[in-house]
Amino acid sequence: MFLTLLQRELLANLIAFRFLVAVIICLLLVVTNTIVLIDDYKSRLASYSTAAQKHWEEAKNAETYSQLTVSVDRPPNPLSIFNQGLDRRLGNSVDIHHSHVPALWDTASHSADNPFLSLFSSIDLLFIFQVILSLMALLFAYDAIAGEREGGTLRLMLTTPVQRGSILFAKYISAMLCLIVPLIMSLLLSLILYAFSQAIVLSGDDWVRIGGILLTSIVYLSAFYLIGLLLSALTQRTATALMLSMLLWGILVLIYPSASIFAVNRLVKADSKLEAAYEEIQQIWEEFDRVRTDLKNQDPFKGENMYGSVGIGSGTNADSTTLRYYSYESINWNRIDDEKSGPQIPHVKTYYKSLESQRIRAAEKTWLVRQEALKQIYVRKASVAQTVMRLSPAAMYDMATEAWAGTDFHGIEDFLQAARQYRQTLIHYLEDKDTFASRQWFASDKGAVNLDDLPQFTYRRTDALTGAKRAMPDVAALLLINVVLFLTTLLIFIKQEV
Amino acid sequence: MFWHIVKRELYDNMNSLRFAVTTMLLLALMVVNAVGYFGEYNARLTEYRRKVSESLDEMEGNADRLFSLVLNGPGKLRKKPSVLTFCADGGEAFLSEYAEGRKGGWSYGWNRDGKGYRVEGIWYLNYPQANPSLWNIMPADTNVSWASIIALVLSFVAILFTFDAISGERERGTLQLMLSNSVSRDAILLGKFVAAFLSIAIPFLIAALINLFLLYTAGGVPLGAHEWARLGILLLITLFYIVIFVALGLLVSSRITQSSISLMVLLLIWATWVVLTPSTLGSIATGLKPAQTSAEFDQHRSKQRDNLKKEYLSDNPFEFEGPTRSYPPTKATQRWAEYVKREAELSERLNKEHLRDQINQIKFARSLARISPASIVGYAVESLAGTGFSRHLQFLDQVNRFAPQFRAFTNETDAADAESPHLFGVKEGMSDKPVRFEAIPKFQDRVSLSSDFNMAAVDVLLLILFGVVLFASAYLSFLRANILH
Repeated sequence: MFLTLLQRELLANLIAFRFLVAVIICLLLVVTNTIVLIDDYKSRLASYSTAAQKHWEEAKNAETYSQLTVSVDRPPNPLSIFNQGLDRRLGNSVDIHHSHVPALWDTASHSADNPFLSLFSSIDLLFIFQVILSLMALLFAYDAIAGEREGGTLRLMLTTPVQRGSILFAKYISAMLCLIVPLIMSLLLSLILYAFSQAIVLSGDDWVRIGGILLTSIVYLSAFYLIGLLLSALTQRTATALMLSMLLWGILVLIYPSASIFAVNRLVKADSKLEAAYEEIQQIWEEFDRVRTDLKNQDPFKGENMYGSVGIGSGTNADSTTLRYYSYESINWNRIDDEKSGPQIPHVKTYYKSLESQRIRAAEKTWLVRQEALKQIYVRKASVAQTVMRLSPAAMYDMATEAWAGTDFHGIEDFLQAARQYRQTLIHYLEDKDTFASRQWFASDKGAVNLDDLPQFTYRRTDALTGAKRAMPDVAALLLINVVLFLTTLLIFIKQEV
Repeated sequence: MFWHIVKRELYDNMNSLRFAVTTMLLLALMVVNAVGYFGEYNARLTEYRRKVSESLDEMEGNADRLFSLVLNGPGKLRKKPSVLTFCADGGEAFLSEYAEGRKGGWSYGWNRDGKGYRVEGIWYLNYPQANPSLWNIMPADTNVSWASIIALVLSFVAILFTFDAISGERERGTLQLMLSNSVSRDAILLGKFVAAFLSIAIPFLIAALINLFLLYTAGGVPLGAHEWARLGILLLITLFYIVIFVALGLLVSSRITQSSISLMVLLLIWATWVVLTPSTLGSIATGLKPAQTSAEFDQHRSKQRDNLKKEYLSDNPFEFEGPTRSYPPTKATQRWAEYVKREAELSERLNKEHLRDQINQIKFARSLARISPASIVGYAVESLAGTGFSRHLQFLDQVNRFAPQFRAFTNETDAADAESPHLFGVKEGMSDKPVRFEAIPKFQDRVSLSSDFNMAAVDVLLLILFGVVLFASAYLSFLRANILH
């Protein structure tokens, strides 16, 4: 009996005009956008490899150890085609040196894009699913019950020994099958386009992630279908059900997420915290300056200018809104008069040996304060916005797929974590060779330093399991919404007069 | 008879659920917008004034000698904040709020006698780039502004009001009944059109007035005659925009027999035309018209600069002779002055070209995106609100006019000093006297209603065109429509 019902519903849905329109529009949009997005990914990949190579060469051009700064780059995420998230927007290149612990707020961009292009919002495949397929889900649902009641077929059906639950279930299954068809077709099409463009190589992990995205999409569509079904069960007329579901759709998908971000952006301010943290950081570096003066005063060769910087690259890099503060000295004496300055050299060596370890300590202390403050100010604001947005299933869907694709904040933070790790490697490299106390720290008069054994930066995106863990809360919440909606609809439908 | 139909339809609409929800929605969004911009204008204006006076102080410091003015330029040239930012954000966050100059770097060398010399490159205009939001971890969003409320919500509501206007009556059989009385089809269509139009426009106007009232009384937004004129035109544009979607709804509704299918078709048209088209076409357009990348530009620029340097400095003996202050000026001084001047000119010209290239790309993308009335209305509202890209272009125009003015002033001041060797570009070749601060031209960003309206005029015309075409097709289609279900 259930199968008969299912068959009937499925056929009715499949021959409906709406099914055809849904498939065609979805495919059309997905194909055009995939082509554009793949093109974009390719150009980003190209500028990444140029930048990475250039930065590596520049790093190796350092003549003294104090000049050593390695810029590391974040490759674009191939799954950003599904959900761009923050992958394209946030900085993707950061300088690594011992005097500063890098955070997202120190990053720059190696992108070659016209910066004015930010005026156009970009579209990814997820946005198409989010908008079009959720609309389709509601359009499949609004007359499922109200329509049968209006047409009188509901009464007819219930005269046969069919359980109400199985009617509802058959409707749900058949509609979901019809919604999954355009979803899978568009995913397959975009994957085929992927395969044709040789630039994108997907690893096994990526396939798991894509599977996760597909799964989340199905759960999302089901949530919207059930919203429509509930409205259809609640209302007497199809027209009312339609109107209500459309309004709800507009609010949930388009209006509410934007309005909540807007409100959070305007209302959550944390300037006072910023000032307090900045003062604390400044004190750390004032302390460092005191140590430096003390060290200089211990020198028996007072007045000799062996400590001053030569050429470019010394000073303080400070920015109060991002709490960046560090002092750096990259020194390069390319001519030293050994007769005159020779006796001073050992003192200079000990000076830098203690100074640079102090500098590293100051940088680490700064990081402790800064990390906490940045989290309190910027990260908290974003997570408040996300929490508020979560009232909309569309936003949950967005965040869950972002997590699957690895283009969410955590995904970007992973890169910076790797960058910080690399800074430690770099410091170990410098310490192992005792470079702080070496002549080559500040002078290249005996030849430039040999950086052939400089450790190289490598960054791999985290595995799919981590992505799954990050996506899980939202997926679970979506599932919960599904269950609640289905049970409510079932209860209402069972108790209802036909 | 016509008014009778309007009255009936209006009454029906107002009694319906959709009207109640529309009104609530518009009110809620407008209040959110107003509250979001409370105090915003004053804060921005104070910041603007503070920064302008900072720049002026800096300039006053540089006025102690003509050359330091030539070297450092007029400081940052700031864009004035608009009163009507709440109407349209226009991507303000991405657009730089100032233009600044740049010093050309410096060259140094040793004279033959072993003494070092140093020549500094002078100030030239360096165009503001867009600020990429590299550190913005907030989720991407559309700002809640008048522009987005109009573009997205009003068009959506218009569809909800019209999808069953004709197909619904046909389904119920009332269309036939009405036409059997002596009511002309024109009257029915026009009546429905006017009624739907009014039932969207009235809630919008009420919500907009409440928004303005809140901002005016509590939000510190000073609304003068100019602002009211802008808002008036803006509201007029909104009405045209509503016409487009009411006409579209009537067109589809008269063609399609079932109202549910009519709604579906309308919604799909809406989703692709209003939501997806503007952004998709933006990205497609940039692919069609690629601009020079920053890396390419940097390469190009440094090559040109090197060429210039070679042209002036490679032939001895100038490399071994810095500029000196002497009468008559030495050949080396002349040469250096000319080089510095030309270097600044070259850099400024290249920057301008690069900027023009980028702007043309955006202009092209914007003209392509105008296929969607949602982009058109967004651009028009932006222009009238004095925010966004077209405002930025105006600002750049003013900056472009100011730079030669400033340079002409320094030239004239130098010419007026009889003791100067009149070699513009190097310290040794120019007047050594302080400059009267009051006489220096100061940049002031001006906003003019007429030029803003000119910017919006094309968009307004396009909107009217869309409206007329859609209304005419709805009319024709209804005249020929089958009235039986």
